Amino acid sequence: MITNTFVHLISKNGFQNLIQNTTAQVSIETGLKAVGRPAFTLADTHVDKETRKYSAFKELLYQLLCLGIYLAVIPVTFKKGGFAVFKKLCNKVSQHPEFLKSITKTDKLQGIEKCSIDIFKNEKALVAIHKMSHLSAAKRQDKANDLAQKLLKTIEENTNWELVKKEYGSKEKFMENMLNKERESRFFRQFFIGKGGIEMSSIVGSVVGLTILAPELSHLILHPIMKALNLEASHKANSETKPQKINKQA
Amino acid sequence: MGAGNLNPILKKIAKAAYNLGDHNDPLNAVLAIAIFKGINRPLFTMMDKESDPKTKRYAAFREGLTEVVAASTYIITNKTLVKPISKYLEKKTGGSLGKITHGIEFLGVCLSAVFLIPLACNLLLNPIMKGVSKLTHKKEQETKGLDIKENVVPTLSKPIVQHLPATNVPKGPNSLVVVLQNKYAANNGGNMKVGA
Repeated sequence: MITNTFVHLISKNGFQNLIQNTTAQVSIETGLKAVGRPAFTLADTHVDKETRKYSAFKELLYQLLCLGIYLAVIPVTFKKGGFAVFKKLCNKVSQHPEFLKSITKTDKLQGIEKCSIDIFKNEKALVAIHKMSHLSAAKRQDKANDLAQKLLKTIEENTNWELVKKEYGSKEKFMENMLNKERESRFFRQFFIGKGGIEMSSIVGSVVGLTILAPELSHLILHPIMKALNLEASHKANSETKPQKINKQA
Repeated sequence: MGAGNLNPILKKIAKAAYNLGDHNDPLNAVLAIAIFKGINRPLFTMMDKESDPKTKRYAAFREGLTEVVAASTYIITNKTLVKPISKYLEKKTGGSLGKITHGIEFLGVCLSAVFLIPLACNLLLNPIMKGVSKLTHKKEQETKGLDIKENVVPTLSKPIVQHLPATNVPKGPNSLVVVLQNKYAANNGGNMKVGA
């Protein structure tokens, strides 16, 4: 019973879409770090109580600041940048159908021959069509399904329909493919390079944001906050009165 | 944009992007972050000019080690737990293996971040750091031992008086230094050159 509920929950489309998104993965991981590391610092009995409290609070604040800075700067910039870069790369690769076939062909699946994402005005439509591919054909066609309707609206608003007509003959033909084809079909797989490009760019952004930008910025903000909360001063006074072993867990 | 040959780097990027578009394993992002944190944090610490070099080395080594532990934990969790648990759950519930695997991969990363990595750091870092500091302390003592000048008779080329701090030398017309200097000047006919 519990196993079935657990599998049902982790197989849900909403959860599957969330965990395929780099920004969500990194944000959740950083959020969990903000909980786990201070908790372990507090539980460390080798260090005295005041130092533990100070270190745990500092760690919590540091991780939260990193998360805030990351969410404010990185996803928007790198998703947009990644889309622009991979639009050009997809156009280049589309001129080499043999190469595309060779990298996308498997024992069960046929290789794709094109991967252009020119028809999308921005990354929102590309992400929406990828999310759509995770839904079953029945759910995509269901007008009462909120998620499907929301995704359809995003695709409608952020797609260049003139280019779609040139590429697919008509808007209806494109919509028919999108509503009926399987996720493993060539129609959906042609957008994998574009979607992967956005994720790749997000990973680069996460690395830049969380290993260079956020630590530097948060150190600038961290000490004034600690001072404002009077934690820095009380810790200093405490450490001057008795020598302590500070847990320097990063 | 002509249809000429495709750059091999672009080919690799396209292939990697296709795989990421098909399935974005959370291990990719967290591992990349851990590896670059393991490089950047010690680098920044060592670049800090205000800290004491010994403290810097200690902190940088500890930061690097923390990220090594983190990266190893992510990999070990992913490679050892995901496959057997996913297969077991698929057999028991009949769900989609792909979806279950993706879910378990993500939960493995979460478990590592919230519990396994802090636990591994608490258990491993302190003994390793103690071992390393003992080792470096021992080495320092050994190198210091080579520099010991006790029981060594130096060949003196200059009078020892030169090494004495000037403030401790008694002054006055009857002090030992002045008496000896006067005697030396009288014997050499007063031709001594100062600073020669």
